[in-house]
Amino acid sequence: MLKYNFKYEWLLLIRKRWIQVLTILLFILFGFAVYNGTQKVDARNASISSAINEFKMEEKKMLVQFDSIEKGFKVNTSSWLLPTRPIVIGNLHPRVVNMPAKSTAFISTGQSDMFAHYVQPIVTGDDSTMNFKEMTSPVQLLFGSFDLTFVTVYLLPLLIIAFSFNILASERESGSLKLLASQPINIRTWVLQKLGLRFFWLVIAIIITLSLVFIVFGFDFKTSLTSFMALLSIIITYTLFWFVLAFATNIWIKSSAKNAITLIGFWILFVLLSPSLINQISNTLYPIPSRILMLNEMRSIKAEATKKQDEILDNFLRDHPEYATNDSTQVRGFYQKYMATQQLIQDELKPLLSEFDSQINNQHKLVNASIWLSPALIVQNSLNRIAGTSTEDYQDFKRQSLTFSKEWRNFFKPMMFKDEKFKKSDYKNLPKFEFSYANVNTYGKTLGLVILSSLILFLVLVLKPRKNQIELIS
Amino acid sequence: MIFTNNLTKSYGNLTALDNLNLEVKEGEIYCLLGANGAGKTTTINLLLGFMKPTSGNAFINQLDVVEHSKQTKQYLAYIPENLMLYPSLNAIENLDYFSGIANKNFNKKTLESILTEAGLQASAFYKPVSKYSKGMRQKVGVAIALAKDAKVLLLDEPTSGLDPKASFEFGRLLQKLRQKGVATLMATHDLFRAKEVATTIGIMKDGQLKQQWSVDDITLSDLEKNYLETMSYNTIEL
Repeated sequence: MLKYNFKYEWLLLIRKRWIQVLTILLFILFGFAVYNGTQKVDARNASISSAINEFKMEEKKMLVQFDSIEKGFKVNTSSWLLPTRPIVIGNLHPRVVNMPAKSTAFISTGQSDMFAHYVQPIVTGDDSTMNFKEMTSPVQLLFGSFDLTFVTVYLLPLLIIAFSFNILASERESGSLKLLASQPINIRTWVLQKLGLRFFWLVIAIIITLSLVFIVFGFDFKTSLTSFMALLSIIITYTLFWFVLAFATNIWIKSSAKNAITLIGFWILFVLLSPSLINQISNTLYPIPSRILMLNEMRSIKAEATKKQDEILDNFLRDHPEYATNDSTQVRGFYQKYMATQQLIQDELKPLLSEFDSQINNQHKLVNASIWLSPALIVQNSLNRIAGTSTEDYQDFKRQSLTFSKEWRNFFKPMMFKDEKFKKSDYKNLPKFEFSYANVNTYGKTLGLVILSSLILFLVLVLKPRKNQIELIS
Repeated sequence: MIFTNNLTKSYGNLTALDNLNLEVKEGEIYCLLGANGAGKTTTINLLLGFMKPTSGNAFINQLDVVEHSKQTKQYLAYIPENLMLYPSLNAIENLDYFSGIANKNFNKKTLESILTEAGLQASAFYKPVSKYSKGMRQKVGVAIALAKDAKVLLLDEPTSGLDPKASFEFGRLLQKLRQKGVATLMATHDLFRAKEVATTIGIMKDGQLKQQWSVDDITLSDLEKNYLETMSYNTIEL
C-alpha cells in the first residue's frame, strides 16, 4: 500500500497544486522572515560599530595627547581632562562592552529588542543602574517580530493544519471512503501513511526553501553548519508534532469542520494560551518587587551615603589600608570620597537587588521547567538559544559585563586612591572584554519533542485499536 | 460465496435488519428490492464489514466478515450508488491505485485492457475522472472489480441516476461478470433491470426478506404486483 500511496499522494498533491503553493508560500515566509531578521541584526551590528568607531576616534585623539605629554609638550587641554589622570581614562574612554550578534542571530529576535547590546562601564559608574534595556516600539513588543522563529512557531502549524486536517474526513465527505474501505487495507494505517507522506513532502519543501533562502542571504554554512542542522532538526520535530496531532484528530473526529476547529483549538492552546498562562503563573508565584520602590530605596541610600562621605572614606581606608598613602598632608578629593561611598552603596543595595534578581531567576526557572507543557515554548526557547538572543544569553552578557565593570574599576582604584598618574605604558594593561556565548545544545529538546509526538501517536494507536476500524468508516 | 445466517442489525429499539438468511452462489446475481429503509444497504454494509451485526453472521467465501474482515475484502468488490474516485486522477491512475492497494499490480497495457473490458472508451482512459459521467465512473468501478479478480460483487443501487443506455450497458457488464463466476448481490429499486439481470430476486421490507423467487419463476408484471403488495400499496388506487 505504501508504494501506491507514495506514488499517488505525490501526484494528487502536485495536481491540486499543494506542493507548488506550499513551496512558494514557505519561500516567501522564510525569505521575508530572514530579511527582517537580517535587518535587525544589521541595525544591532551598526549600533555596536558606531559606538566602537566613536570610541576609537576618541582613543586616537587621546593617544596623540599622551604622546605629546610624554614628550614634554604642552597640550591645549584642561588639566581635568588630561589622560594622565586615571579618572579620565576610566570615565571618558570606557571600553565598548558589547555582545556581537551570532551569525545565526537573524533566526530569532528573541530578547534582542528588549536589551542593549553594548554598555560602557566607567570607573565611577553604578552597576545597579547600568542600562541593559533598549527602547523599542510598543507595537512591535505587542505583536512580536516577523522573524524565522515567528514563522516557525506561529505560522508553520497553521500551514500544517491546512495541509492535514481533513485527510480522512474529506474521503468520508466525498464518498470515496467506502470504496477505499472495501479494499483489504487498514484505514488507520492508510491515514498514517497519507499523513506520513505529507509530512515527508513538507519537510522536503522546508529543507529546500530554507536552504535556498539562507543561500540567498549569504549564510555561511561552513562555519555555522551545526547551528543550521540544529535549526532544521527543531523545525522538523515541531512539524512532526503537529502532524501527529493532526493524525490523532483525523482518527478521533469525523467531520472536516470539527477537525479544523479542534486543530485550531490545539494551536490556540499550545501557541497562545500555554505561554501566557505560564507567564501569568510565574508572575503570580514570584512577583517582581516594584521597580519604583527599588529606585526610591536606592536614592535614599545614596543620599544618606553622600551626606557622610568623609566618614565613609575614613572607614573605607581603615578597611582598605592598601589604598592609604603615607603623605598625611595629601588632601582626599571628590572621586576618592565618591568611590568609597559607591562601595558602601553597593554593599547596602545588595539585598535589595538580589531580591529583585532572585524573583526574576525564580520566574525563569519556572518558565524553563514548564516549557514542556507547550511545544511552541520549546521551539521558541531552542531557536532563541541557537540565535543567541535568549534570556540566558542576555543574562550571560549582563554577568560578563558586570564582571568586566568590576575589573575596570579595580584597575583604576589603586591609582586613584594613591593619586598616581596613568602612564601610556599602562594603556596596554587595561582590562579587555570579549563576550563569549555559552555552548548551546538543543538536541535534548528536539529529542523531547520526538518523544512527546511518539507518546501521542502511541496513545492514539492504543486507544483506537484495530477493531474500531468500523468507527473510522461510519 | 455470500451467505448470511440470521443476520440482524438493531439500533436501540429499531431493527434495521431482522434475521436475514440469504445465499448467493458462484455465478448468481441476487437482486434485493425494497423501499428506502428496507434494510438493503444495511445488508451490504454488514457484508462489507462497515458495521457489526447485532446477532447472526455473514460470510464471504466461507469466511466470517467480522472475524476475517481483511481477508474477505480480498475477494469482494463494491460499487456504491455514487462511485467517487479521485477526480484529479485519470481512469488508468485510479484503477492502478485501487488495485495496487489491494495488492494487485498491473502494467499500463493490462490496465488499459481491463478498462476496455469494463466498457470504457479508450479515448477516456487518460482524462481526469472529474470529467466523467456517472455511467463512466461505474465502469471504472467494474474495472476495479475485474482487476481485483473479485469473487463477490456488492452493488448498492448502481443504476440509479443512469440513463437507459448506460443502465443497459451496466447490466451487460454484470452478465459478463456472472459468466466469470462472480457472485453478485445488488440492492436496487429498478424492477426492470432486476428482472433482466438477476438469477434470484428478493423483496425486503422493514429489515425482513419478505419474498424470494428464481427469476425464471416470475414475470415482470407479477414482480411489480408482488412488490407493490409487499410495500402495502393499493394497486387499484395507483
